[in-house]
Amino acid sequence: MSDRSSLLCPGGAVKRPNVKLQKVAPRLAKRGPEQLAIEAGEIDAIVDHASHNIILLPAARRALHEAADRTSAAREGARLAPIANRVLADLPRNDYLGLMDGLEPVVLTYGTVLYEPGETIAHVHFPIDCLVSLLATVEGRRAMEVGLVGREGMVGIPLALGVEVSSVRALVQGTGRALRMNAARFKTAFKQCPPLRDALHRHACVMLAQARQTVACNQFHLVEARLARWLLMTSDRIPCEEFFLTQEFLADMLGVLRAAVNRAAGSFRQRDLIRYRRGRVRILDRKGLEAASCRCYTKIEGPGPRATWTATRS
Amino acid sequence: MSRRPRKPKVREAEATTIVVLRLYIVGGAPNSVQAVANLEAICREHLKEGYRLEVVDVLEQPRRALAEGVLVTPSLAKLSPRPVANVVGNLSDRNKVVRALGLKAKAR
Repeated sequence: MSDRSSLLCPGGAVKRPNVKLQKVAPRLAKRGPEQLAIEAGEIDAIVDHASHNIILLPAARRALHEAADRTSAAREGARLAPIANRVLADLPRNDYLGLMDGLEPVVLTYGTVLYEPGETIAHVHFPIDCLVSLLATVEGRRAMEVGLVGREGMVGIPLALGVEVSSVRALVQGTGRALRMNAARFKTAFKQCPPLRDALHRHACVMLAQARQTVACNQFHLVEARLARWLLMTSDRIPCEEFFLTQEFLADMLGVLRAAVNRAAGSFRQRDLIRYRRGRVRILDRKGLEAASCRCYTKIEGPGPRATWTATRS
Repeated sequence: MSRRPRKPKVREAEATTIVVLRLYIVGGAPNSVQAVANLEAICREHLKEGYRLEVVDVLEQPRRALAEGVLVTPSLAKLSPRPVANVVGNLSDRNKVVRALGLKAKAR
């Protein structure tokens, strides 16, 4: 690339192409194939062996300049675009721009398993509008949700704690976009960027609190209250009003039988708290649903944990 | 037992010859983009898998272009099998390219 930039620098081939072209063109064999191709407009550049330079013809020069303008406009657009993931949005702008090269936009689809327990974490994901469940598995296919990650966090927290292997299954339960970074790149970025390190340590702390509270909630609270908490937590993590889930999936998330989920969801529907049709859920009365949920919702999502994050951050 | 005809053997030998090509371009410039597309189409049609193509961006490797005697881009060099041949331009004249590569034009 250094060769390229030196050729494009002021005083080089790009700045004064016509003068150079007039000097160089006669050096080519008269009526030779090169001359004929130039006349036919089929040539982009002449290699000038006398001055050891590459001379771009006007059309090629214009095309390259336009392409360069488009690239810089796209970069500028990306730089100014709002950042939808909270971990990334909280970083100082320069730190975020430093990470941007390693971030690759991907679409995660419902039902995709990002990694299983015991698997090496190949990528970390910063959700934008997708939702990922972290499931603790027991024998067979049975699993229970112990964490929920949306646009407020990152999937792949063990890597930030120096562990390369996951202890949970990461399952996409809401289709949407995310930014991902490969593990090697992430580890370098994590070492070099203290604000990212701080943000992820805070996020890991919140995830741990969430898992602990979920265990207690599943042990002591009724299915209805747990379902209300789960619906509220899900809706907090995605930007859209409606989300997709099946009763079977919900039963797995809450660690209960499908019939129990059916009863609880039916009760919410009768009280007009939610609309639930063909797997699509929409929260109609948020206040009512908060009243129906257990206090674990405020403990996990309320001002308590958030205040701790911001207090330690400043 | 019938004797094998000789013709298929010749065809097989032709098919296993790898044609080595080098295309000098300026990445992103209109004639170069066209040349890459035209050449790939010709190779797919006439050579199937039997070719090796190296694309050299002269703005990224100017010293190489100078050392290898390139005069203009896009410029295609057939390096093997012998004889070597050169075609300059955006390679839109399919017959010229096919002749230079030593291939027979397909009947249309």
